[in-house]
Amino acid sequence: MKPFGLAAILFAALAAGTAFAQSSGPIKLADVAELSGGGATVGNNWKNGIDLAVEEINAKGGILGRKIEVTHADSQSNPGVARAQVQKALDSEPYVLLGPGYSGSVKVTAPLVAEAGITQIMGGEAAELTQAGNKFLFRTSFGQQSSMPKVAKYINDEVKAKSVAVVWVNNDFGRGGRDVITKEFGGYGIKVAADISTEAGQADFAADVSKIKAANPDAVFIYLNEEESARILKELKRQGVTAPLIGETTLVGQKVIELAGDAANGARGHVGLTTDAPVELIKQFRDKFSKKYNYVPDHNGIKGYLAIYMIKATTEKMGKVDPKAFADTLHGLTIKAADEPGILMDVTFDQNGDIDRQGFLVEVVEGKQVVKQVLPKLH
Amino acid sequence: MTAAAKYLRIALGVAAVLALILVPATFNRYGLYILSQWAVMSIAAMGLNLTLGYAGQVSLAQGAFVGIGAYAGAILTTQGFPLIAATAVAIVLCFAIGWLLGYPALRVQHHYLAFVTLAFSTLAFLVFRNESWLTGGIYGISNIPRPHVFGMATSKPLPFYYVCLGALAIVTAAVWWLIRSPWGRAFMALRENPVRALSLGVDTRRYTLMAFAIGSALGGVAGALYAPLTQYIDPVPFNLSLSLDLLMMVIVGGSGFFFGPFLGTMIAVLLPEWLRFTQGYYLMLYAIAVILLLIWSPSGILGILDRYLTQRRTRAASALRAVAKPKLEVAQ
Repeated sequence: MKPFGLAAILFAALAAGTAFAQSSGPIKLADVAELSGGGATVGNNWKNGIDLAVEEINAKGGILGRKIEVTHADSQSNPGVARAQVQKALDSEPYVLLGPGYSGSVKVTAPLVAEAGITQIMGGEAAELTQAGNKFLFRTSFGQQSSMPKVAKYINDEVKAKSVAVVWVNNDFGRGGRDVITKEFGGYGIKVAADISTEAGQADFAADVSKIKAANPDAVFIYLNEEESARILKELKRQGVTAPLIGETTLVGQKVIELAGDAANGARGHVGLTTDAPVELIKQFRDKFSKKYNYVPDHNGIKGYLAIYMIKATTEKMGKVDPKAFADTLHGLTIKAADEPGILMDVTFDQNGDIDRQGFLVEVVEGKQVVKQVLPKLH
Repeated sequence: MTAAAKYLRIALGVAAVLALILVPATFNRYGLYILSQWAVMSIAAMGLNLTLGYAGQVSLAQGAFVGIGAYAGAILTTQGFPLIAATAVAIVLCFAIGWLLGYPALRVQHHYLAFVTLAFSTLAFLVFRNESWLTGGIYGISNIPRPHVFGMATSKPLPFYYVCLGALAIVTAAVWWLIRSPWGRAFMALRENPVRALSLGVDTRRYTLMAFAIGSALGGVAGALYAPLTQYIDPVPFNLSLSLDLLMMVIVGGSGFFFGPFLGTMIAVLLPEWLRFTQGYYLMLYAIAVILLLIWSPSGILGILDRYLTQRRTRAASALRAVAKPKLEVAQ
């Protein structure tokens, strides 16, 4: 019996040790993001947003009196590496897992995180992510299933276009958006005049723009990454395409305006999160961010920032640091900016982990995002 | 080689195998995943070592063959076929495509051949991405099941690691036998001097095709294991950079050395992970380390060992000569 007794004491000591670790000391968070490779812009904005929020919260004494500690791991924008890094992060038993930002990387990691019973707050926007019945996965921005219908409605009601050329980037992000909006166009009886697939990182859009010109559509819907959006805007201007140019967050972002210059003027889009929103808290966030990192963040910076404040609000609602009850508490939770300024805008999470929040229709006027219309929260 | 040295080598080998079996039992999920990745990529690198190191044919298409194997594995196992059947299909498919790809190798050599295989690599990527009816396109294939071996589920990390390790052992034994067979000798003759090999009656045409086909088939085996390892595949991991990575693994380890691919893969898979503590610098440091290694020893890590052993033998021989010299002079 002696060795058994000894083992039991050891085990009890170990168990007590872990229990102790969870009830005091810093709250550990793990972030896995695209810090290098094709998604480096996305991942580094996300990471900086997280670091900014953590610094703010820690300066004010942390969450429920406990400081936050966050580790960052690089997925190299590769799903296989993301899986390895998430596994590493899970082995250290974080309170909540943050990231990744690419939808493919989210798809490969979400089942692992759910199996560990840990909540995952991610940046992916593909429609299907929250439709697989995962009870631990939460978005920080609109999924395509909620943003695309708004764009289609705008094209139908306001632009009154009857035929649209659709330009998309052939990865899961672009293809997902294209599939949702094409379906929506079908519902309105809008014809897809040209369906143009492009490559991530493509440099020359002359041939694609010629195709758009030949199709002579009433409007052009552009769904590319930021750099490529800027390149196609320049080419559209060069070839003199005058049809309205409509897109989503990535067409009218700060980075696109910087890269495309004049050519970005007139571009319109639906934006779930924009640093140019006419919201006082977002302006303050933008100032703090640009002061710390010397550049203006895009929406991924806001997403990272919000993720941390989602954790703060949820934990304070529970009144304790409880990784098991976290997801249950966040489902159906409404966080008001009046109570928690870090959340920037009132937000509600539904049972799938999707969000409901104010949105904006913006247009680029003289090199600046101008909000034309505020789309209210649904509930 | 003396008997003692021979026993030492056998003991080292046994110790390494035992370590690979026993030590990971204490690893966490992350460690096991990385080690499984090492085993899988070692198989692909061994295939490329056969094509490049032994038969001297530069191929930038090994990543594409891993992709073909992975898609074959993913499509068949999600349809309910067992992994072993999927692996067999992957081997046959990659062998056949590799054989066809070998034809250009009969006409062009060295970097021209690299270009031809590079084009094939791009073509394969486009097929994975655009033929969505078969490959799921850019959305990829998810929920790839892990196999049951002798009725035991391997969905947990440790059992699946043993599946990868077992596959690596089988492939290692097969390649060990192959390069000691007349085929292996013919491959090396092809690399050293194709004209002479031809004049000695080696059918260089057939052996070139064979080197390509067997190397590619091993890429297929690695792919068929990669799919259940990550349980989700999309076209991105199988683009040109994987082919370049595999080429680097073979060259860093020591091209044409039997154990080169194991070491090269260890460097390529583990070194970036060890360097992660340097945060944003880890990929830069990794690149610098590889560049320095190749400047120091263009023939890879095993090249260093080889040079050291050769030097020691030369020194030993010189010492013997020096001892023998007075006697020889007296004899004159």
